[in-house]
Amino acid sequence: MDPKSCREWRESLGAYALGHLADEERVSLEAHLDGCPACRAEAAALGPVASLLPHADPEHFGPAPLPPPELGRRITATIEAERRSKRQHRRLRLGFGLSGAAAAAAAAVLAIFVLSSGESGSPEQHVSFRSLPSGVKIAAALEPQAFGTEIHMYVSGIRSGTLCRVYMRGPSGRDVSAGTFRYRWGGDASAILSAALDLSRAKALVVHAGRRTFVAPLGAGETALEQSQQEEPT
Amino acid sequence: MASGALTRERDVREAYAAHAAELYGFAVRSLADPGLAEEAVQETFLRAWRAGERFDPQIGSLRTWLFAILRNVVIDLGRARSSRPSVAEGGIEPSVEPYDEALLSWQIEEAMRRIGDDHRRVLVETYYRGRPYAEVAEELGVPEGTVKSRVYYGLRALRVVLEEMGYED
Repeated sequence: MDPKSCREWRESLGAYALGHLADEERVSLEAHLDGCPACRAEAAALGPVASLLPHADPEHFGPAPLPPPELGRRITATIEAERRSKRQHRRLRLGFGLSGAAAAAAAAVLAIFVLSSGESGSPEQHVSFRSLPSGVKIAAALEPQAFGTEIHMYVSGIRSGTLCRVYMRGPSGRDVSAGTFRYRWGGDASAILSAALDLSRAKALVVHAGRRTFVAPLGAGETALEQSQQEEPT
Repeated sequence: MASGALTRERDVREAYAAHAAELYGFAVRSLADPGLAEEAVQETFLRAWRAGERFDPQIGSLRTWLFAILRNVVIDLGRARSSRPSVAEGGIEPSVEPYDEALLSWQIEEAMRRIGDDHRRVLVETYYRGRPYAEVAEELGVPEGTVKSRVYYGLRALRVVLEEMGYED
């Protein structure tokens, strides 16, 4: 008659799997395992886990390092830039594919892109608005174009259906309209707008979202992206 | 376009929110260099996005797919690193073996992080530090039998967590 219950035997199975049991205890446990398929199965299930332990280093059991917060934004910005350049190439290819009367128009399209890519001296800028209300995200990618500036807006966290008006502030402080869009929850949060103002001359990007106004100063360097936010009554 | 494909920026943002911490944690463990690990994670998400249409959730989870991409990225980075003259002196071809070993180590370490503190503690003391159960029991102020049963429940918990993480032995 076995004086110990299976439950009691099982509590030794960990030490057994790790080879920690004294001979006497090990022998009596093995005798129990011989006659108990359930405990035997449990012992067999712990074996593989025990055999993995040597592969781990207890120095690395502490909290795992977290990725820096800007990594996600950097990835999104890189993808966005790549997506846009792909689209441009596609448009160029389409241009080549045209024939006859459309060729002149295609050439004109081509000229615009050649011009715009020739202006790569002032590269695109990524703008992220800071000091936003909790949960609200607004970011933009600005790209110099022959006609002015192409603006890709990303908005999230505001009420669905909110009308957003976008302006670029010129050197004299005058706002040049870049158009409007509506934020739709769940839709593609990116809107493509354009303003007839050279990116190099723009001083700020202004977004009126509903009744709130957000201003991101623009400048030559990344350091100029210090953000400010102001409330406007209308 | 297959449904569930990782083709929109929003998909990438969601994938990032769900898996970046784990991918980064492993990349740091594997490359032992936080800067390089960042590079690896960025490259992983870029490759995932570029090949987004090929992702099919019917075949495997997004996590598995991302780890498979990271594997290639880390191997490429390791290759680039060892092709620098100073490191290539040994002339050893970088292989996937160190990567797979690092992945195994990281999986077990991640599982260790996820089990209870009490369980991890007794496994560290008795197994990794090789201390007698009686000594550990005294230090923790519990009976020796409790240390023993915690070793058992600790191993069981570890097995469950590893299974949840998709580890197959």
